[in-house]
Amino acid sequence: MSDEIRLFVEREARLLDQMRYEEWVGLFLPDARYWVPVSPDQPSPAAGPSHFHDDIQVLMVRTHRLANPRAFAAEPSPRTVHIVSGVCAEEGDEGIAVTSSQIMLEYRNRGNYEDDQRLFGGQVTHTLHRVDGTLRIAHKRIDLINAQGAFNAMLAPL
Amino acid sequence: MATQLRERDVLTPAKLVRQDQVHRSVYTDPALFDLEMKRIFGRAWLYLAHKSEFKEPGDYVVRHMGSQAVILTLDKDGSVQAIFNRCTHRGATLCAFDKGSAPNGHQCPYHGWMFNSDGTVRFIPYDKGYGDRLDKGEFGITRVRLEEYRGFLFGNLAGDEAGPLVDFLGHMKTSIDDLVDRSPTGELECGPYVLRHYYRANWKMTFENLNDTVHPGFAHAASVVSAKAITKEVGGPHNIVPTIGMMMANGKPVQFFQDLDMVTAPGGHSYIGGHMGADYTPDTSDAYTQSLMDFHGEDKARDVLSIDRHLMLLYPSSFWHARYQTIRIIRPVRHNLTEMIGFVFRLKGAPEETYANAIEYCTGANSAASPVISDDLEIYERCLLGNSFDEREWIPMSRGMDEDREHASGYDRMPATSEGFIRNQFKAWAAYMAAA
Repeated sequence: MSDEIRLFVEREARLLDQMRYEEWVGLFLPDARYWVPVSPDQPSPAAGPSHFHDDIQVLMVRTHRLANPRAFAAEPSPRTVHIVSGVCAEEGDEGIAVTSSQIMLEYRNRGNYEDDQRLFGGQVTHTLHRVDGTLRIAHKRIDLINAQGAFNAMLAPL
Repeated sequence: MATQLRERDVLTPAKLVRQDQVHRSVYTDPALFDLEMKRIFGRAWLYLAHKSEFKEPGDYVVRHMGSQAVILTLDKDGSVQAIFNRCTHRGATLCAFDKGSAPNGHQCPYHGWMFNSDGTVRFIPYDKGYGDRLDKGEFGITRVRLEEYRGFLFGNLAGDEAGPLVDFLGHMKTSIDDLVDRSPTGELECGPYVLRHYYRANWKMTFENLNDTVHPGFAHAASVVSAKAITKEVGGPHNIVPTIGMMMANGKPVQFFQDLDMVTAPGGHSYIGGHMGADYTPDTSDAYTQSLMDFHGEDKARDVLSIDRHLMLLYPSSFWHARYQTIRIIRPVRHNLTEMIGFVFRLKGAPEETYANAIEYCTGANSAASPVISDDLEIYERCLLGNSFDEREWIPMSRGMDEDREHASGYDRMPATSEGFIRNQFKAWAAYMAAA
Protein backbone atom coordinates (compact mmCIF):
# COMPACT_ATOMS: atom_id res chain seq x y z
CA MET A 1 0.00 0.00 0.00
CA SER A 2 1.26 3.45 -0.83
CA ASP A 3 1.91 6.11 1.79
CA GLU A 4 -0.48 8.30 -0.19
CA ILE A 5 -3.54 6.36 0.97
CA ARG A 6 -2.47 6.21 4.62
CA LEU A 7 -1.69 9.93 4.58
CA PHE A 8 -5.10 10.61 3.01
CA VAL A 9 -6.97 8.77 5.78
CA GLU A 10 -4.87 10.48 8.46
CA ARG A 11 -5.44 13.89 6.87
CA GLU A 12 -9.20 13.33 6.70
CA ALA A 13 -9.25 12.67 10.46
CA ARG A 14 -7.01 15.66 11.14
CA LEU A 15 -9.34 18.01 9.21
CA LEU A 16 -12.14 16.97 11.59
CA ASP A 17 -9.95 17.52 14.65
CA GLN A 18 -8.99 20.96 13.35
CA MET A 19 -12.65 21.77 12.58
CA ARG A 20 -11.76 22.50 8.95
CA TYR A 21 -15.20 21.25 7.95
CA GLU A 22 -15.49 22.81 4.49
CA GLU A 23 -12.24 21.16 3.44
CA TRP A 24 -13.45 17.93 5.05
CA VAL A 25 -16.75 17.90 3.15
CA GLY A 26 -14.75 18.74 0.02
CA LEU A 27 -13.02 15.34 0.23
CA PHE A 28 -16.35 13.60 -0.47
CA LEU A 29 -17.65 13.01 -3.99
CA PRO A 30 -21.02 14.69 -4.78
CA ASP A 31 -22.93 11.38 -4.51
CA ALA A 32 -20.96 10.07 -1.51
CA ARG A 33 -22.53 8.54 1.59
CA TYR A 34 -21.37 8.67 5.21
CA TRP A 35 -22.79 5.74 7.16
CA VAL A 36 -22.71 4.64 10.81
CA PRO A 37 -24.82 1.45 11.10
CA VAL A 38 -26.66 0.38 14.28
CA SER A 39 -25.35 -3.18 14.09
CA PRO A 40 -22.27 -4.89 12.63
CA ASP A 41 -24.56 -7.21 10.64
CA GLN A 42 -26.70 -4.43 9.13
CA PRO A 43 -26.34 -5.19 5.40
CA SER A 44 -27.26 -1.74 4.12
CA PRO A 45 -28.79 1.56 5.22
CA ALA A 46 -31.99 0.42 3.50
CA ALA A 47 -32.37 -2.45 5.99
CA GLY A 48 -33.13 -0.21 8.95
CA PRO A 49 -32.36 3.06 10.71
CA SER A 50 -28.76 4.19 11.22
CA HIS A 51 -26.93 6.42 13.68
CA PHE A 52 -25.74 8.46 10.68
CA HIS A 53 -26.70 8.00 7.05
CA ASP A 54 -25.74 11.24 5.39
CA ASP A 55 -25.46 12.40 1.84
CA ILE A 56 -23.32 15.39 0.98
CA GLN A 57 -26.12 17.87 1.76
CA VAL A 58 -26.69 16.51 5.23
CA LEU A 59 -22.93 16.58 5.87
CA MET A 60 -22.94 20.22 4.78
CA VAL A 61 -25.83 21.10 7.13
CA ARG A 62 -24.32 19.12 10.00
CA THR A 63 -20.95 20.84 9.80
CA HIS A 64 -22.41 24.27 9.05
CA ARG A 65 -24.50 23.87 12.20
CA LEU A 66 -21.47 23.11 14.40
CA ALA A 67 -20.31 26.68 13.88
CA ASN A 68 -23.67 28.10 15.03
CA PRO A 69 -23.83 29.27 18.66
CA ARG A 70 -27.54 28.30 18.73
CA ALA A 71 -26.64 24.64 18.27
CA PHE A 72 -26.87 24.28 22.03
CA ALA A 73 -25.52 20.77 22.20
CA ALA A 74 -22.43 22.00 20.34
CA GLU A 75 -21.82 24.98 22.59
CA PRO A 76 -18.89 25.18 22.64
CA SER A 77 -18.09 22.96 19.67
CA PRO A 78 -16.87 19.54 20.77
CA ARG A 79 -13.12 19.11 20.56
CA THR A 80 -11.89 15.84 19.13
CA VAL A 81 -8.70 13.95 18.51
CA HIS A 82 -8.62 10.95 16.19
CA ILE A 83 -6.08 8.15 16.52
CA VAL A 84 -5.71 6.35 13.20
CA SER A 85 -3.97 3.01 13.03
CA GLY A 86 -3.56 -0.09 10.87
CA VAL A 87 -4.50 1.40 7.51
CA CYS A 88 -4.94 -1.34 4.87
CA ALA A 89 -5.91 -0.78 1.24
CA GLU A 90 -7.12 -3.07 -1.49
CA GLU A 91 -7.89 -2.17 -5.10
CA GLY A 92 -11.29 -3.49 -6.19
CA ASP A 93 -14.04 -2.97 -8.75
CA GLU A 94 -15.76 -0.38 -6.54
CA GLY A 95 -12.59 1.64 -6.05
CA ILE A 96 -9.93 1.45 -3.38
CA ALA A 97 -11.27 -0.20 -0.21
CA VAL A 98 -9.38 1.16 2.78
CA THR A 99 -9.87 -0.10 6.32
CA SER A 100 -8.41 1.42 9.45
CA SER A 101 -8.85 1.15 13.21
CA GLN A 102 -9.79 4.49 14.70
CA ILE A 103 -10.45 5.94 18.13
CA MET A 104 -11.97 9.37 18.58
CA LEU A 105 -11.62 11.07 21.95
CA GLU A 106 -14.22 13.80 22.33
CA TYR A 107 -14.56 16.57 24.90
CA ARG A 108 -17.77 18.54 25.47
CA ASN A 109 -18.00 21.13 28.23
CA ARG A 110 -21.32 20.10 29.77
CA GLY A 111 -20.63 20.87 33.43
CA ASN A 112 -22.11 17.57 34.50
CA TYR A 113 -18.84 15.75 35.23
CA GLU A 114 -19.98 12.49 33.67
CA ASP A 115 -19.60 11.97 29.95
CA ASP A 116 -17.84 15.29 29.31
CA GLN A 117 -15.11 13.19 27.72
CA ARG A 118 -16.17 10.23 25.60
CA LEU A 119 -14.44 7.57 23.52
CA PHE A 120 -15.75 6.31 20.21
CA GLY A 121 -13.93 3.54 18.39
CA GLY A 122 -14.18 0.91 15.74
CA GLN A 123 -13.33 -0.01 12.20
CA VAL A 124 -13.56 2.63 9.51
CA THR A 125 -14.00 1.59 5.87
CA HIS A 126 -13.37 4.15 3.16
CA THR A 127 -14.12 3.57 -0.49
CA LEU A 128 -11.86 5.92 -2.40
CA HIS A 129 -11.95 6.93 -6.06
CA ARG A 130 -9.18 8.67 -7.93
CA VAL A 131 -10.66 11.67 -9.74
CA ASP A 132 -8.32 13.70 -11.96
CA GLY A 133 -5.39 12.26 -10.04
CA THR A 134 -6.83 13.19 -6.61
CA LEU A 135 -8.23 10.74 -4.04
CA ARG A 136 -11.88 11.39 -3.12
CA ILE A 137 -14.26 9.61 -0.74
CA ALA A 138 -17.14 7.74 -2.40
CA HIS A 139 -18.25 6.05 0.83
CA LYS A 140 -17.25 6.14 4.49
CA ARG A 141 -18.61 3.50 6.85
CA ILE A 142 -17.87 3.49 10.57
CA ASP A 143 -18.57 0.30 12.53
CA LEU A 144 -18.51 1.42 16.16
CA ILE A 145 -17.73 -1.43 18.54
CA ASN A 146 -20.83 -0.40 20.54
CA ALA A 147 -23.02 0.26 17.49
CA GLN A 148 -25.96 -1.58 19.08
CA GLY A 149 -25.85 0.51 22.23
CA ALA A 150 -27.62 3.74 23.12
CA PHE A 151 -25.81 7.03 22.55
CA ASN A 152 -26.06 10.49 24.00
CA ALA A 153 -25.99 13.47 21.60
CA MET A 154 -23.36 13.02 18.89
CA LEU A 155 -22.42 16.30 17.27
CA ALA A 156 -18.88 15.81 16.01
CA PRO A 157 -18.64 13.63 12.90
CA LEU A 158 -16.66 10.47 13.64
CA MET B 1 -36.48 20.93 48.89
CA ALA B 2 -39.78 19.21 49.33
CA THR B 3 -39.36 15.59 48.46
CA GLN B 4 -41.22 12.42 49.21
CA LEU B 5 -38.50 11.32 51.58
CA ARG B 6 -37.59 14.51 53.37
CA GLU B 7 -40.91 16.25 53.75
CA ARG B 8 -43.36 13.41 53.44
CA ASP B 9 -46.10 15.27 55.28
CA VAL B 10 -45.79 18.46 53.28
CA LEU B 11 -46.48 17.22 49.79
CA THR B 12 -47.99 13.86 48.97
CA PRO B 13 -47.37 12.77 45.36
CA ALA B 14 -50.79 13.85 44.14
CA LYS B 15 -50.28 17.32 45.66
CA LEU B 16 -47.20 17.86 43.48
CA VAL B 17 -49.58 18.53 40.61
CA ARG B 18 -51.88 21.55 40.40
CA GLN B 19 -54.22 22.37 37.57
CA ASP B 20 -51.73 24.75 35.96
CA GLN B 21 -48.42 24.00 37.73
CA VAL B 22 -46.23 21.07 38.61
CA HIS B 23 -43.64 20.77 41.34
CA ARG B 24 -40.02 20.54 40.14
CA SER B 25 -39.33 17.46 42.28
CA VAL B 26 -41.29 15.26 39.83
CA TYR B 27 -38.15 15.42 37.67
CA THR B 28 -35.44 15.41 40.31
CA ASP B 29 -36.52 13.20 43.21
CA PRO B 30 -35.20 9.59 43.09
CA ALA B 31 -37.83 8.51 45.66
CA LEU B 32 -40.60 9.74 43.38
CA PHE B 33 -39.02 7.83 40.50
CA ASP B 34 -39.16 4.61 42.51
CA LEU B 35 -42.81 5.28 43.28
CA GLU B 36 -43.55 5.98 39.59
CA MET B 37 -42.12 2.59 38.70
CA LYS B 38 -44.60 0.92 41.07
CA ARG B 39 -47.66 3.09 40.65
CA ILE B 40 -47.45 4.15 36.98
CA PHE B 41 -45.30 1.60 35.14
CA GLY B 42 -46.66 -1.08 37.46
CA ARG B 43 -50.27 -0.30 36.44
CA ALA B 44 -50.42 1.09 32.91
CA TRP B 45 -50.57 -1.02 29.75
CA LEU B 46 -47.09 -0.81 28.20
CA TYR B 47 -46.38 -1.54 24.53
CA LEU B 48 -43.85 -4.37 24.41
CA ALA B 49 -43.59 -6.02 21.01
CA HIS B 50 -45.24 -6.72 17.66
CA LYS B 51 -46.26 -10.25 16.75
CA SER B 52 -44.16 -10.09 13.54
CA GLU B 53 -41.07 -10.19 15.77
CA PHE B 54 -41.81 -13.87 16.46
CA LYS B 55 -41.43 -16.30 13.54
CA GLU B 56 -40.58 -19.73 15.02
CA PRO B 57 -41.48 -21.27 18.39
CA GLY B 58 -38.81 -20.23 20.88
CA ASP B 59 -38.16 -16.83 19.26
CA TYR B 60 -37.90 -14.30 22.06
CA VAL B 61 -37.33 -10.61 22.76
CA VAL B 62 -36.42 -8.92 26.04
CA ARG B 63 -38.24 -5.66 26.82
CA HIS B 64 -38.44 -3.34 29.80
CA MET B 65 -41.49 -2.50 31.88
CA GLY B 66 -40.29 0.49 33.82
CA SER B 67 -37.02 -0.57 35.45
CA GLN B 68 -37.77 -4.32 35.19
CA ALA B 69 -37.15 -6.62 32.22
CA VAL B 70 -39.43 -9.29 30.80
CA ILE B 71 -38.92 -12.03 28.20
CA LEU B 72 -41.58 -12.50 25.52
CA THR B 73 -41.37 -15.91 23.84
CA LEU B 74 -43.43 -17.55 21.10
CA ASP B 75 -44.77 -20.79 22.56
CA LYS B 76 -45.26 -24.02 20.60
CA ASP B 77 -49.03 -23.44 20.75
CA GLY B 78 -48.63 -20.16 18.83
CA SER B 79 -49.23 -17.87 21.81
CA VAL B 80 -46.71 -15.30 23.04
CA GLN B 81 -45.89 -15.62 26.74
CA ALA B 82 -44.26 -12.95 28.92
CA ILE B 83 -42.25 -13.74 32.07
CA PHE B 84 -39.81 -11.78 34.19
CA ASN B 85 -36.20 -12.08 33.03
CA ARG B 86 -35.15 -13.52 36.39
CA CYS B 87 -34.27 -17.01 37.60
CA THR B 88 -36.33 -18.00 40.64
CA HIS B 89 -33.28 -19.64 42.25
CA ARG B 90 -30.63 -17.00 42.90
CA GLY B 91 -32.15 -14.15 40.91
CA ALA B 92 -29.76 -13.98 37.96
CA THR B 93 -31.19 -12.63 34.73
CA LEU B 94 -31.82 -15.39 32.20
CA CYS B 95 -31.37 -13.66 28.85
CA ALA B 96 -28.37 -11.45 28.19
CA PHE B 97 -29.35 -10.47 24.65
CA ASP B 98 -32.30 -8.39 23.41
CA LYS B 99 -33.54 -11.16 21.16
CA GLY B 100 -32.81 -14.70 20.15
CA SER B 101 -34.15 -18.21 19.89
CA ALA B 102 -34.69 -20.57 22.83
CA PRO B 103 -36.83 -23.45 21.47
CA ASN B 104 -35.96 -25.63 24.47
CA GLY B 105 -36.71 -22.98 27.08
CA HIS B 106 -34.69 -20.39 28.96
CA GLN B 107 -31.79 -21.70 30.98
CA CYS B 108 -30.15 -19.84 33.84
CA PRO B 109 -26.38 -19.56 33.34
CA TYR B 110 -25.73 -19.96 37.08
CA HIS B 111 -26.96 -23.45 38.13
CA GLY B 112 -28.70 -24.49 34.93
CA TRP B 113 -32.31 -24.13 36.05
CA MET B 114 -34.48 -24.37 32.96
CA PHE B 115 -37.83 -22.69 32.35
CA ASN B 116 -40.53 -23.06 29.70
CA SER B 117 -41.67 -19.97 27.81
CA ASP B 118 -44.67 -19.65 30.16
CA GLY B 119 -42.33 -19.59 33.17
CA THR B 120 -43.01 -23.09 34.48
CA VAL B 121 -39.97 -25.04 35.64
CA ARG B 122 -38.76 -27.45 32.94
CA PHE B 123 -36.05 -29.05 35.02
CA ILE B 124 -33.63 -28.35 37.84
CA PRO B 125 -30.22 -30.03 37.60
CA TYR B 126 -29.17 -31.97 40.74
CA ASP B 127 -32.65 -31.50 42.21
CA LYS B 128 -32.23 -34.56 44.43
CA GLY B 129 -30.15 -32.31 46.69
CA TYR B 130 -33.39 -30.60 47.68
CA GLY B 131 -35.11 -33.81 48.72
CA ASP B 132 -38.79 -32.92 49.09
CA ARG B 133 -38.04 -29.39 50.33
CA LEU B 134 -38.52 -27.68 46.98
CA ASP B 135 -41.84 -27.75 45.12
CA LYS B 136 -41.10 -27.07 41.45
CA GLY B 137 -44.69 -25.93 40.99
CA GLU B 138 -43.98 -23.00 43.29
CA PHE B 139 -40.77 -21.95 41.55
CA GLY B 140 -42.14 -21.04 38.17
CA ILE B 141 -41.39 -17.48 36.99
CA THR B 142 -44.31 -15.07 37.34
CA ARG B 143 -46.16 -14.52 34.08
CA VAL B 144 -47.00 -11.02 32.94
CA ARG B 145 -50.49 -10.39 31.59
CA LEU B 146 -50.47 -9.65 27.85
CA GLU B 147 -53.18 -8.34 25.56
CA GLU B 148 -53.02 -7.73 21.83
CA TYR B 149 -54.49 -4.93 19.77
CA ARG B 150 -54.18 -5.47 15.99
CA GLY B 151 -50.88 -7.31 16.29
CA PHE B 152 -49.37 -5.07 18.96
CA LEU B 153 -48.65 -6.80 22.27
CA PHE B 154 -49.05 -4.83 25.48
CA GLY B 155 -48.18 -5.99 28.98
CA ASN B 156 -49.55 -5.02 32.38
CA LEU B 157 -47.76 -5.71 35.67
CA ALA B 158 -51.00 -5.28 37.65
CA GLY B 159 -52.30 -8.55 36.18
CA ASP B 160 -55.99 -9.17 36.79
CA GLU B 161 -56.38 -5.86 38.61
CA ALA B 162 -55.89 -3.98 35.35
CA GLY B 163 -58.85 -3.16 33.14
CA PRO B 164 -58.90 -4.31 29.51
CA LEU B 165 -56.37 -2.88 27.05
CA VAL B 166 -59.04 -1.36 24.77
CA ASP B 167 -60.31 0.76 27.65
CA PHE B 168 -56.78 1.99 28.30
CA LEU B 169 -56.28 2.86 24.61
CA GLY B 170 -59.68 4.56 24.33
CA HIS B 171 -59.74 7.11 21.52
CA MET B 172 -56.01 6.50 20.89
CA LYS B 173 -56.73 3.18 19.23
CA THR B 174 -57.68 5.25 16.17
CA SER B 175 -53.97 6.15 15.84
CA ILE B 176 -53.01 2.46 16.01
CA ASP B 177 -55.72 1.72 13.42
CA ASP B 178 -54.22 4.51 11.33
CA LEU B 179 -50.87 2.65 11.32
CA VAL B 180 -52.27 -0.82 10.54
CA ASP B 181 -54.77 0.42 7.93
CA ARG B 182 -51.91 2.00 5.97
CA SER B 183 -50.73 -1.49 5.05
CA PRO B 184 -52.13 -2.68 1.69
CA THR B 185 -52.20 -6.24 3.05
CA GLY B 186 -53.33 -5.41 6.58
CA GLU B 187 -49.98 -6.69 7.80
CA LEU B 188 -46.97 -4.97 9.32
CA GLU B 189 -43.45 -6.29 9.74
CA CYS B 190 -41.27 -4.94 12.56
CA GLY B 191 -37.80 -4.17 11.15
CA PRO B 192 -34.90 -6.12 12.68
CA TYR B 193 -32.75 -3.07 13.48
CA VAL B 194 -33.50 -0.74 16.38
CA LEU B 195 -32.07 2.70 17.07
CA ARG B 196 -31.34 3.81 20.62
CA HIS B 197 -30.38 7.03 22.33
CA TYR B 198 -30.15 8.04 25.96
CA TYR B 199 -30.16 11.25 27.93
CA ARG B 200 -29.24 12.15 31.48
CA ALA B 201 -32.62 13.48 32.59
CA ASN B 202 -36.11 12.36 33.55
CA TRP B 203 -38.29 10.17 31.31
CA LYS B 204 -41.20 12.63 31.42
CA MET B 205 -39.14 15.25 29.55
CA THR B 206 -39.64 13.36 26.28
CA PHE B 207 -43.40 13.12 26.82
CA GLU B 208 -43.61 16.85 27.47
CA ASN B 209 -41.37 17.79 24.54
CA LEU B 210 -42.44 15.71 21.56
CA ASN B 211 -45.77 17.43 20.96
CA ASP B 212 -44.62 20.83 22.19
CA THR B 213 -44.88 22.84 18.98
CA VAL B 214 -43.55 26.11 20.38
CA HIS B 215 -40.02 24.90 21.15
CA PRO B 216 -38.84 23.95 17.61
CA GLY B 217 -38.51 27.53 16.43
CA PHE B 218 -36.11 28.17 19.30
CA ALA B 219 -34.49 24.90 20.36
CA HIS B 220 -33.94 23.80 16.76
CA ALA B 221 -33.18 27.22 15.32
CA ALA B 222 -29.58 26.29 14.50
CA SER B 223 -30.75 23.44 12.25
CA VAL B 224 -33.16 25.74 10.46
CA VAL B 225 -30.48 28.37 9.90
CA SER B 226 -28.04 25.77 8.55
CA ALA B 227 -30.69 24.02 6.44
CA LYS B 228 -31.61 27.38 4.87
CA ALA B 229 -27.97 28.27 4.21
CA ILE B 230 -27.28 24.94 2.50
CA THR B 231 -30.55 25.11 0.53
CA LYS B 232 -29.30 28.39 -0.91
CA GLU B 233 -25.88 26.91 -1.59
CA VAL B 234 -27.27 23.96 -3.57
CA GLY B 235 -29.52 26.13 -5.72
CA GLY B 236 -32.90 26.27 -3.98
CA PRO B 237 -35.61 24.16 -2.31
CA HIS B 238 -36.22 21.92 -5.36
CA ASN B 239 -32.66 20.60 -5.02
CA ILE B 240 -32.76 19.56 -1.37
CA VAL B 241 -33.06 16.05 0.07
CA PRO B 242 -36.04 15.17 2.38
CA THR B 243 -33.96 15.21 5.59
CA ILE B 244 -33.19 18.89 5.03
CA GLY B 245 -36.89 19.51 4.41
CA MET B 246 -37.63 17.93 7.79
CA MET B 247 -35.12 20.25 9.47
CA MET B 248 -36.73 23.24 7.77
CA ALA B 249 -40.17 22.21 9.08
CA ASN B 250 -38.98 23.20 12.55
CA GLY B 251 -38.79 26.78 11.33
CA LYS B 252 -42.51 27.04 10.58
CA PRO B 253 -44.15 30.03 12.29
CA VAL B 254 -46.05 29.43 15.54
CA GLN B 255 -49.29 30.35 13.72
CA PHE B 256 -48.90 27.21 11.57
CA PHE B 257 -49.00 25.10 14.73
CA GLN B 258 -51.69 27.25 16.34
CA ASP B 259 -53.99 26.32 13.44
CA LEU B 260 -53.37 22.58 13.93
CA ASP B 261 -55.36 20.55 16.45
CA MET B 262 -54.10 18.80 19.52
CA VAL B 263 -56.24 16.00 20.93
CA THR B 264 -55.90 14.77 24.49
CA ALA B 265 -57.61 11.75 26.03
CA PRO B 266 -57.99 10.28 29.52
CA GLY B 267 -54.90 8.41 30.73
CA GLY B 268 -52.42 11.12 29.69
CA HIS B 269 -52.51 10.31 25.95
CA SER B 270 -52.44 12.85 23.12
CA TYR B 271 -51.69 13.52 19.45
CA ILE B 272 -51.44 16.49 17.15
CA GLY B 273 -52.61 16.85 13.57
CA GLY B 274 -50.57 17.46 10.45
CA HIS B 275 -47.41 15.62 9.46
CA MET B 276 -44.45 17.85 8.80
CA GLY B 277 -42.37 15.91 6.34
CA ALA B 278 -42.14 15.15 2.65
CA ASP B 279 -44.63 13.15 0.60
CA TYR B 280 -43.85 10.10 -1.50
CA THR B 281 -42.62 10.55 -5.06
CA PRO B 282 -45.50 10.48 -7.62
CA ASP B 283 -44.84 6.90 -8.81
CA THR B 284 -44.81 5.53 -5.28
CA SER B 285 -47.81 7.61 -4.33
CA ASP B 286 -49.89 6.29 -7.28
CA ALA B 287 -48.87 2.65 -6.79
CA TYR B 288 -49.43 2.87 -3.04
CA THR B 289 -52.85 4.52 -3.36
CA GLN B 290 -53.91 1.86 -5.88
CA SER B 291 -52.75 -0.97 -3.60
CA LEU B 292 -54.73 0.49 -0.68
CA MET B 293 -57.84 0.77 -2.88
CA ASP B 294 -57.46 -2.86 -3.97
CA PHE B 295 -57.33 -3.94 -0.33
CA HIS B 296 -59.78 -1.59 1.40
CA GLY B 297 -62.06 -0.45 -1.44
CA GLU B 298 -61.99 3.12 -2.70
CA ASP B 299 -63.90 4.88 0.08
CA LYS B 300 -62.00 3.29 2.96
CA ALA B 301 -58.66 3.84 1.19
CA ARG B 302 -59.41 7.55 0.82
CA ASP B 303 -60.38 7.70 4.50
CA VAL B 304 -57.10 6.04 5.49
CA LEU B 305 -55.03 8.43 3.38
CA SER B 306 -56.95 11.46 4.60
CA ILE B 307 -55.91 10.95 8.22
CA ASP B 308 -53.13 13.41 8.86
CA ARG B 309 -51.68 13.03 12.34
CA HIS B 310 -48.26 13.70 13.77
CA LEU B 311 -47.05 11.81 16.86
CA MET B 312 -49.43 9.99 19.19
CA LEU B 313 -48.12 9.83 22.76
CA LEU B 314 -49.38 6.78 24.62
CA TYR B 315 -48.70 7.60 28.23
CA PRO B 316 -46.46 6.54 29.95
CA SER B 317 -44.32 4.51 27.60
CA SER B 318 -44.63 4.80 23.82
CA PHE B 319 -44.74 7.22 20.89
CA TRP B 320 -46.49 6.29 17.63
CA HIS B 321 -46.12 7.81 14.18
CA ALA B 322 -48.49 6.07 11.73
CA ARG B 323 -47.48 8.08 8.66
CA TYR B 324 -43.81 7.13 9.20
CA GLN B 325 -44.45 3.63 10.63
CA THR B 326 -42.27 4.37 13.65
CA ILE B 327 -42.82 3.44 17.30
CA ARG B 328 -40.52 4.57 20.06
CA ILE B 329 -40.50 3.02 23.54
CA ILE B 330 -39.22 4.79 26.61
CA ARG B 331 -37.09 2.96 29.15
CA PRO B 332 -36.80 4.91 32.41
CA VAL B 333 -33.52 3.79 34.01
CA ARG B 334 -33.18 6.26 36.89
CA HIS B 335 -34.80 9.60 37.68
CA ASN B 336 -31.94 11.19 35.75
CA LEU B 337 -31.31 8.60 33.03
CA THR B 338 -33.64 7.58 30.20
CA GLU B 339 -33.27 5.42 27.10
CA MET B 340 -35.37 5.72 23.94
CA ILE B 341 -35.68 2.77 21.57
CA GLY B 342 -36.94 3.30 18.01
CA PHE B 343 -38.62 0.62 15.84
CA VAL B 344 -39.52 0.93 12.16
CA PHE B 345 -42.33 -1.09 10.53
CA ARG B 346 -42.63 -2.24 6.95
CA LEU B 347 -46.09 -1.98 5.38
CA LYS B 348 -46.22 -5.45 3.80
CA GLY B 349 -47.00 -5.22 0.10
CA ALA B 350 -46.39 -1.45 -0.15
CA PRO B 351 -43.76 0.09 -2.48
CA GLU B 352 -40.21 -0.05 -1.07
CA GLU B 353 -40.06 3.74 -0.84
CA THR B 354 -42.62 3.71 1.97
CA TYR B 355 -40.11 1.75 4.08
CA ALA B 356 -37.17 3.95 3.06
CA ASN B 357 -39.24 6.99 4.00
CA ALA B 358 -39.98 5.52 7.45
CA ILE B 359 -36.31 4.63 8.02
CA GLU B 360 -35.30 8.17 7.19
CA TYR B 361 -37.87 9.56 9.61
CA CYS B 362 -36.80 7.21 12.42
CA THR B 363 -33.13 8.09 11.89
CA GLY B 364 -33.98 11.81 12.05
CA ALA B 365 -36.32 11.38 15.01
CA ASN B 366 -34.40 8.95 17.21
CA SER B 367 -30.68 9.03 16.38
CA ALA B 368 -28.45 10.70 18.95
CA ALA B 369 -26.64 12.13 15.93
CA SER B 370 -29.79 13.76 14.55
CA PRO B 371 -29.30 17.53 14.46
CA VAL B 372 -32.81 17.86 15.90
CA ILE B 373 -32.65 15.22 18.65
CA SER B 374 -29.21 16.32 19.85
CA ASP B 375 -30.69 19.74 20.65
CA ASP B 376 -33.59 18.14 22.55
CA LEU B 377 -31.27 15.93 24.60
CA GLU B 378 -29.22 18.95 25.60
CA ILE B 379 -32.37 20.82 26.65
CA TYR B 380 -33.64 17.85 28.73
CA GLU B 381 -30.33 17.73 30.59
CA ARG B 382 -30.35 21.48 31.18
CA CYS B 383 -33.87 21.25 32.62
CA LEU B 384 -32.78 18.55 35.05
CA LEU B 385 -29.87 20.71 36.16
CA GLY B 386 -31.97 23.86 36.56
CA ASN B 387 -34.75 22.05 38.39
CA SER B 388 -32.27 20.87 41.01
CA PHE B 389 -31.98 24.53 42.14
CA ASP B 390 -34.41 25.69 44.82
CA GLU B 391 -34.87 29.16 43.35
CA ARG B 392 -38.54 28.39 42.66
CA GLU B 393 -40.62 25.29 43.38
CA TRP B 394 -43.40 25.35 40.79
CA ILE B 395 -43.23 25.03 37.01
CA PRO B 396 -46.06 26.65 35.00
CA MET B 397 -47.96 24.60 32.40
CA SER B 398 -50.82 26.98 31.68
CA ARG B 399 -50.15 27.82 28.01
CA GLY B 400 -53.37 27.52 26.02
CA MET B 401 -55.53 26.92 29.07
CA ASP B 402 -58.27 29.22 27.80
CA GLU B 403 -58.09 28.04 24.20
CA ASP B 404 -59.80 24.62 24.22
CA ARG B 405 -61.78 24.00 21.02
CA GLU B 406 -63.95 21.02 21.90
CA HIS B 407 -64.79 18.81 24.86
CA ALA B 408 -66.06 15.58 23.31
CA SER B 409 -66.86 12.25 24.79
CA GLY B 410 -63.51 10.47 25.15
CA TYR B 411 -61.27 13.35 24.07
CA ASP B 412 -60.63 17.11 24.19
CA ARG B 413 -59.50 19.24 21.26
CA MET B 414 -57.31 22.36 21.48
CA PRO B 415 -54.68 24.26 19.46
CA ALA B 416 -51.45 22.30 18.89
CA THR B 417 -49.57 25.08 20.67
CA SER B 418 -51.39 24.36 23.94
CA GLU B 419 -49.70 22.83 26.96
CA GLY B 420 -52.97 20.96 27.46
CA PHE B 421 -51.20 17.67 26.67
CA ILE B 422 -48.79 18.27 29.57
CA ARG B 423 -51.64 19.13 31.94
CA ASN B 424 -53.39 15.98 30.74
CA GLN B 425 -50.26 13.90 31.41
CA PHE B 426 -49.95 15.23 34.94
CA LYS B 427 -53.64 14.68 35.60
CA ALA B 428 -53.03 11.01 34.78
CA TRP B 429 -49.75 11.08 36.72
CA ALA B 430 -51.49 12.39 39.86
CA ALA B 431 -54.28 9.81 39.58
CA TYR B 432 -51.78 6.94 39.26
CA MET B 433 -49.58 8.28 42.07
CA ALA B 434 -52.41 9.03 44.52
CA ALA B 435 -53.59 5.42 44.68
CA ALA B 436 -51.55 3.50 47.23
